[in-house]
Amino acid sequence: MLTAGCEASPGKSQHMAQADAVRGKLAIERAGCGACHDIPGIRWPKGQAGPSLQGFGDQGMIAGRLPNRPDLLAAYVRNAPATLPGTTMPRMPLTPAEARDIAAYLYAASARR
Amino acid sequence: MRTETGFDHSLYDRFPTSDPRPEGELEELERIWCAPKGWQLLTAVNNNYIGIFYVGAAFLFFLLAGILALVMRVQLALPLQGILPQETYNQFFTMHGTVMMFLFAVPMVEAIGVLLLPQMLAARDLPFPRLSAYAFWAYFVGGLCFFASLFFGLAPDGGWFMYPPYTSLTYSPGINADFWLLGIGFIEISAIAGAIEIIVGVLRTRAPGMTLDKMPVYAWAMLVLGVMIIIAFPSVILGTLLLELERAFNWPFFDPTRGGDALLWQHLFWFFGHPEVYIIFLPASGLVSMMVAAMARTPLVGHNLIVLAFLATGFISFGVWAHHMFTTGLPNLSIGFFSAASMAVSVPAGIQIFSWIATFAVGRPRFNAPTLFLLGGIVTFVVGGLTGVMVAMVPFDWQAHDSYFIVAHLHYVLLGGMVFPMFAAFYYWTPMTSRHPLSERLGKWAFWLMFAGMQVTFWPMHLTGLMGMPRRVYTYLPGREWEVTNMISSVGAFMLAAGVLLFLIDVARSFRFTTDHDAGNIYDGGTLEWLPTGLYSARSIPVVKSREPLWEDPGLAEDVKAGRYLLPGSATGLRETIVTSPLLAEPQYLQIMPGPSVWPFLAAIFTAGFFILLTIQAYTPSFTCGVLAVVCVLRWLWDTDRRVKEVTVDAGAGVRLPTYVTGPSTHGWWAMIILLIVVGMIFVMALFSFFYLFGVQSQFWQAPAPAGHLAIILPAYLAAAGLALLSRRMLAREKTEHWTPGVLYLCAAAALAAGVGADMWSWIGSGLVPEASGQGATVYALLSLEVLLVGVGVLMACYLCARNSRGMIVRPRNNSLDLCVLWVVYAAAQGSMTGVLTRLVGA
Amino acid sequence: MSGDSLIPVLTPAGPYAGSITMLAWLLIAMATAVLAIVIAALWIAFAGSDRLKSRLGGSRTIWIGGIGVPVVILTVLLVYGLSLTRNLTAPVPAETMRVRITGEMWWWRVAYLDETGQAFMIDANELHIPAGRPVLLELESNDVIHSFWVPQLSGKLDMVPGRRNTMPIQADAPGVFSGQCAEYCGGPHALMGFVVIAHEPADFDRMMTERRASRTPVLGTGAELFQRTGCAACHRIAGTKANGTAGPDLTHVGTRRSLGAGILPNNRGTLMGWIGDSQAIKPGNRMPPYKMLSAAELEAIASYLEAQR
Repeated sequence: MLTAGCEASPGKSQHMAQADAVRGKLAIERAGCGACHDIPGIRWPKGQAGPSLQGFGDQGMIAGRLPNRPDLLAAYVRNAPATLPGTTMPRMPLTPAEARDIAAYLYAASARR
Repeated sequence: MRTETGFDHSLYDRFPTSDPRPEGELEELERIWCAPKGWQLLTAVNNNYIGIFYVGAAFLFFLLAGILALVMRVQLALPLQGILPQETYNQFFTMHGTVMMFLFAVPMVEAIGVLLLPQMLAARDLPFPRLSAYAFWAYFVGGLCFFASLFFGLAPDGGWFMYPPYTSLTYSPGINADFWLLGIGFIEISAIAGAIEIIVGVLRTRAPGMTLDKMPVYAWAMLVLGVMIIIAFPSVILGTLLLELERAFNWPFFDPTRGGDALLWQHLFWFFGHPEVYIIFLPASGLVSMMVAAMARTPLVGHNLIVLAFLATGFISFGVWAHHMFTTGLPNLSIGFFSAASMAVSVPAGIQIFSWIATFAVGRPRFNAPTLFLLGGIVTFVVGGLTGVMVAMVPFDWQAHDSYFIVAHLHYVLLGGMVFPMFAAFYYWTPMTSRHPLSERLGKWAFWLMFAGMQVTFWPMHLTGLMGMPRRVYTYLPGREWEVTNMISSVGAFMLAAGVLLFLIDVARSFRFTTDHDAGNIYDGGTLEWLPTGLYSARSIPVVKSREPLWEDPGLAEDVKAGRYLLPGSATGLRETIVTSPLLAEPQYLQIMPGPSVWPFLAAIFTAGFFILLTIQAYTPSFTCGVLAVVCVLRWLWDTDRRVKEVTVDAGAGVRLPTYVTGPSTHGWWAMIILLIVVGMIFVMALFSFFYLFGVQSQFWQAPAPAGHLAIILPAYLAAAGLALLSRRMLAREKTEHWTPGVLYLCAAAALAAGVGADMWSWIGSGLVPEASGQGATVYALLSLEVLLVGVGVLMACYLCARNSRGMIVRPRNNSLDLCVLWVVYAAAQGSMTGVLTRLVGA
Repeated sequence: MSGDSLIPVLTPAGPYAGSITMLAWLLIAMATAVLAIVIAALWIAFAGSDRLKSRLGGSRTIWIGGIGVPVVILTVLLVYGLSLTRNLTAPVPAETMRVRITGEMWWWRVAYLDETGQAFMIDANELHIPAGRPVLLELESNDVIHSFWVPQLSGKLDMVPGRRNTMPIQADAPGVFSGQCAEYCGGPHALMGFVVIAHEPADFDRMMTERRASRTPVLGTGAELFQRTGCAACHRIAGTKANGTAGPDLTHVGTRRSLGAGILPNNRGTLMGWIGDSQAIKPGNRMPPYKMLSAAELEAIASYLEAQR
């Protein structure tokens, strides 16, 4: 599954060493990210209050303003207001490791398609 | 006793006769009983055809409901799947249960009876062939329309027992619930018609000499089935009627804010619902008893105990219904009683299990496909019965109820107690009705797949329930390991389906329906269904001297075929069978049977049309269909009750039987009495609802209508009964004008109308309206029932007048008149009781 | 959503459930034994020695196996079962804490009652109890029939409109015990969860005192939006003008372990997602989506609700 991350979008590397996409999925379920987002591979919930994350790996930007890179994504997932002031996503109760796992999952899940 | 009806038993010694039969007698019999061809098959009424249609239709519903289950199992294999959206899944599980219970299980056991019973009793047909045809077509057409509601998203979604208030209009505003209430409501008519056939068939059309103790044990099971149906089904008929009245007209039977009670539905439903499962199990266990004896090649050990077990089960099963309500907050005293009865009802089942074990031990059983299905069924049913004892223990039920533990229990008893025996019966009895038997090899594979699949599917559900998963959930959250047991169950479901598929392949390859070139008695059974037969059943009706006539007299088959017993041909040139007495089966009279007729078929189509169109609120087409249905029924009845020119006939070897009898010993009288019992039970349940709501919500009740008005109401009913009885008396007298009985009956019907009209006027005058309270709803429901009875009475009066004007009401006694008189007398009694009892309680 | 025991019915956490579990084990043992006997008898009937077969093949087998032994077993079980039923429904001491739980489609209204039967604290979807003491539940319904079932603490009892059913529960030690509605109530019945949290009695008393203490209302954008957007029409927050009773009481929503009746974790993000569009999460539930609110407004309301402790 992790090697799928090597099948990178042109010019980007989304491979994340020491991040586990499987643990990332569990963290997503524990934190309830699906309450706002439609996340690939998460059957329920498919929240509509926030943007859909289908094909997230192909997006150039996070929230339209931040480059879509593993380190930035992990920081954003954990504390969006601090990473990108003025953003609409709230801070989430995640450890830094969980945030990295979630980022790895998002890349892996959208690359799988 | 020496004789029951005065029949001289020494006449039996004349059989088998030894003179050669006249030329052409057999050909004539075959011509008279010739089956219709092509499209005319829709008009067939003979039990061989109706039976096989019925079995086929019931099996089709089994497959359809099974497919629903497979989809449900795919959904539940993993948590949070959205293959079926919530609304659709809720409709799926409702339809799965409803179709399995109402369109498969009960119809299948009745269908097998239709096919098998006349053969087993050596009767030429069931006593009311057109009624069977009507019942079948109404069920088939109605059932298909009901199932089709799924494709329009209109299927009911309240669960197969449809508890209000969820199914009341407030929470189920669509017509989905009405599909259930009206659709299933009228399919119950089919079940009741079947029950009438079976009771009268078992008690009055047995072969001469087949006394009650020589009757096959399956016939006992079907007799108990018939009685259970007529006592239990009225409860759900009334319940569905009340819920439909609440939805359509806002009469608050189940609405606690106006004096109704949600638990009333549960009492009404489960008073039917628990006997229903024994209605499903008993005939299947009767079949098992027959097959075990045949497979073990020895008479059933403990035959009398098994008969007692049927009677005990039938009786006790009416006293256990509230075990479905242990968690509703019933008082401890009731709970204790129902718990005790629920445990007691397992004893008769145990009797049967050990009888089968003992029979296998005594005999030399063979390991073939039927035996495998029998063994699989026995083991599975025992597991289900044991978990049943577990949930009869109230504290344990408080954990297990409404969880997957119960889902496991119910499937174990249903599959073990009915489905596996059904497959055994298919393998065992196919040679009786098909040119080739089914394949032993495919049968064994089908069995092992089904048995293993069944265990893999449902055993884990015991655990799933103990793990806390409730039933009727379209999905579940992960994290509690429910996905493990659910996945196993889902895999098992497909194994089970594969077994069923193999069976279907076997049927397609081997089953070729025939009425006269069947594969024969390849398992060497001892009972009469294995006689060589044509559409007319056996060529001649034997005198029975033992419980397994073919084992006791190896030459019997040959003698019967050669016409050496009773009725070797047709005595009147029409279809006939012999009606015998209930205890000793002494021949009493010759019954003239109907041939193919289009009227029952049309009546069934229009009946189905009436109910289905009513559901989709197409009122004008619906009422048109209703009127047409009544017209078709009347046209069908018009052909009944005709005399033939021979007053008595020679039924064989000089035994003379009358061709037309009247009075309490006729099969028509019996049918009417049974029908009146059904109507009476509906009335009893309506009274129960009345007193129950008074008991729990009397604060909503006002003073009843004045008791003084009974001085008008009761004499009107008394006059009705009196006039009806008088009409009968007048017919018997020589000096009466020929139109007198009809007119008297008409006056009787008018008096009935006056009675219920006065009662209705009295209640309306008291200011009570049906929407006001539980009192209003139940009082007007009782009055409505009476109006219905009166309406039928008026219809009967018109019918009798028409017959009278054609000179068909012949003195001294006439069956049509007698039966209609019974109806009016009953209606008068019910009306009187309604008038008195509704005025007994109030503020 | 909490990771509690694997087989709750067999791992009771209190005396009521515990006595049922004991019965359950007895019944499982009985059923296993009887099944083994029947299978053994069938085996003998088909494949046993002639001597054994002839002993089995008579009506004596039926009298003993079908009547005698069952009657004995069933009588013993019945006596045990009925006396246990009586014990489980025995009245609790008068000073027992009472909580009224009302089933709604598809959530649970929880009202803690004082000695006079008045609700002094209202919450939803969660019940806090002191460990080691019985708590009497009064179960009702405002719409259709529901059923309250927390298997580690007791059997289930239905919530029937028009009736009040009572049931005691007790947890022996602190812990978290989850349950689910056990009577099909249409729609998202599958997503109607519940959780009971048992505390050390001292902790419990302290928590209740804190919660009952009068609170200074939280002010700010969230509070204003809560009123302006119409949330107050359905929801109540004690000490404010919001007094709606159609939906769950939100006075202590910030402390809840989950949202949506046990189906979502409780954090600012999930609060925003639920308010923004709860239909996408729990289709058919009675709360409409609030898609007209901007993300900033959602966040303001969510932080306001987080502060309701």
